[in-house]
Amino acid sequence: MNELLDLVSATARLGGPLALAAMGGLLSERSGVVNIALEGAMLASACACGMVSAATGSTALGLFAGLVAAVIVCLLHALAVLGFRIDHIVSGIAANAVAFGVTGFAIKVAVQRGAELKFTPLPQIVYIACALILPVVIAFMIQRTVFGLRINAVGNSGSKSAEMGVNPIRVRLVALFGCGLLTGLAGAMLVSQPEHFTANMTAGKGFIALAALILGGWRPIPAMIAAFAFGLFDALQIRLQGTPMLGVEVPSQFWASLPYVITLIALAGFLGKSKPPAALGRE
Amino acid sequence: MRHLRSSKSSKVFPVDRSNASFIRMQGITKRFGNVTANASVDLDVAKGSIHAIVGENGAGKSTLMRILYGLYKPDSGSISIDGEEKSFKSPQDAIASGIGMVSQHYAIIPELSCIDNLILGAEGSALIDRNTIIERATNLASALGFEFDWYAIAGDMSPSAAQKLEIAKLLWRESNILILDEPTAMLSPEDSAALYTNLRTLADAGRTVIVVTHRLEEVMDYCERVTVMRNGKVVANEETAQTTSKRLAELIVGGELTFERERPAVPGRVSLSLREFSVQGDRGDRAVDINAFELRESEVVGVAGVDGNGQKELIESLIGIRPYLGVAKYYDRELGGLSVAQRLEDGLAIVPEDRQLQGLIGSWSVADNAILGLHRRQPISNGWRMDRSACIAVTEDIVRRFSTKVSSFGAPIASLSGGNQQRFVVARALEGSPKLLIAFQPARGLDIRGSSEVYAEIRRRCSMGMCALIVSFDLDELLEHCDRIVVMFRGKASEPPHGLQSDRHAVGRMMVGLSP
Repeated sequence: MNELLDLVSATARLGGPLALAAMGGLLSERSGVVNIALEGAMLASACACGMVSAATGSTALGLFAGLVAAVIVCLLHALAVLGFRIDHIVSGIAANAVAFGVTGFAIKVAVQRGAELKFTPLPQIVYIACALILPVVIAFMIQRTVFGLRINAVGNSGSKSAEMGVNPIRVRLVALFGCGLLTGLAGAMLVSQPEHFTANMTAGKGFIALAALILGGWRPIPAMIAAFAFGLFDALQIRLQGTPMLGVEVPSQFWASLPYVITLIALAGFLGKSKPPAALGRE
Repeated sequence: MRHLRSSKSSKVFPVDRSNASFIRMQGITKRFGNVTANASVDLDVAKGSIHAIVGENGAGKSTLMRILYGLYKPDSGSISIDGEEKSFKSPQDAIASGIGMVSQHYAIIPELSCIDNLILGAEGSALIDRNTIIERATNLASALGFEFDWYAIAGDMSPSAAQKLEIAKLLWRESNILILDEPTAMLSPEDSAALYTNLRTLADAGRTVIVVTHRLEEVMDYCERVTVMRNGKVVANEETAQTTSKRLAELIVGGELTFERERPAVPGRVSLSLREFSVQGDRGDRAVDINAFELRESEVVGVAGVDGNGQKELIESLIGIRPYLGVAKYYDRELGGLSVAQRLEDGLAIVPEDRQLQGLIGSWSVADNAILGLHRRQPISNGWRMDRSACIAVTEDIVRRFSTKVSSFGAPIASLSGGNQQRFVVARALEGSPKLLIAFQPARGLDIRGSSEVYAEIRRRCSMGMCALIVSFDLDELLEHCDRIVVMFRGKASEPPHGLQSDRHAVGRMMVGLSP
């Protein structure tokens, strides 16, 4: 029984950041902007949140810094894609590289100077609640509000939306701002588990969140379920490490690769069925 | 006028035809680079009328309408609506002044539902209550006798239903000025007539309608006034009751139209024959189901029909990018056994449906596009080597055929205007003496002159032994230029009975599944 509770709690903690980042990706991609910068935005947020919290001793200030950092990464992506019409994937790679470099440099300098990195985070339950409630809020927003309709419209055709008096650039900017807040929350949740920042601590979680988004067919609730399913596999692999299977010692790397293998299989199986927004990455 | 009421206001437009210039555009000039699209254009439109604007491609009609709709800002000139000076910075400003536009390609987003398309950009409150909205929308639509399945996905609608949704969108926005760009380009004659009946109802209720069109019969039958544009200027402004379509045609091209029609030659050997021929559509349906069809040398056969009745699938299977069942003989060989390359080599030529998607590579140069599909031929290809000078020679030939305007052979093909791209694609298909031309809307987007040139050339080739299968949604075009018409309806092909072969109404009825 205790074991099961442990597994549930681990699933929530590991799946939460994925679900939050997936929601950020949902806002961005439903509006037509491919966003592989989820990874970089999460990493930037985790770094800013962890280091500012530790430096100031204020959890609130740290969280705010995390949100700001992720919003900056997303808006940089927006500037490149919407302003300079750079290919979405290329811009995403660049944003990730910048986030990776800047955070890596920051933590290196902090460690060299012997700065305090440990901080007291918000209780996990706050983040978990966000990860469970926000998808519902976003689902409602997409279905029942003007902003949701407009995101949907520009995500399928920016030029036709413009003819109907909807400014696609503005809608996408707001969507990417929202994406920044959500990935910021995801990064803050991530860093509040070890309670200190380590270099490249996202380790591909942004991409897993993107996979969850695609698996969920760009819909909020299914994407959230997919994110927590990945969380479950992650929790399982940690528990399964070191357990012999049928008397054979399985290398821990095998288990560590499990969530990624599942992602690959799931994407291969589901990708044909889930339909991306028509203008995704094209405008 | 209950259907006009909305949360914002309830306006009633009194019919007042005495006000001769409800819309007044004066001295409108617009330049794009060194091209003057509109040169000091004046336009006066009376309230409650249907006003037509006609002209060749590039005459500046669309530019003028885009200025009125706030999509372009004029370099100089003024616009006033109902005596009030206006300056539109964006479509939002124009919409706020009661102007609505239906563009040729429709601003319907196919992935959204009908109701979402209807309200997009004019949703009312921040929260969307679709039940209340649908109630109001249904009231509004029923005033014109329209019915919609509001939750259906808009992409599944027929062209005429989409057109109705576009008009409903304008009414939803309380537009009292309706601009329609080529509204009947995709409609059957029956649907076109119904559209104008609806526009007349709206005009009688006090709304003002501006129609940009190529079809002079429509202008003569349904519009009150007509403005003729040529080379960016207004050349005439007439009441349709005081003019003739012949005079309009002359005004449009700036002189008399003299195209000698060559007499159809006597049909020769059977070139293409289909038997028990069926093709599967994208949704697994039987998109084409033809019992028997023959095309002989020297024949020009038109395939009439409303878009989406299997024309696309028929053409794709003939050119070899979609499989078929049954028999399709090209001379004495089965088409199915030939690859696309072999078909091209054996004299099949193609004008694809969408020139940008299937006919041209936009970022490539004019010269590189010229040899697409011809690239395996001597002397362009010398075994393993491309002969650049031969490529240039071919490009010159193609560009000269319909006097396509290009700045240089190295310029990207996307820099050409739509009409010039179309001329280019047709000329390329005719390069190298093909035996069978399969053309999807060969005169798409071309004006009277361009369209006549294209068909005259096809006719000339056919008198020398080529044959042509031409798909078009413009029935009048087919009736004018083809020897024979085949009507496609839900994948079935049928010919009008003897005596009604060129009867516009009989063919029109067959296009919507009625008996001729």
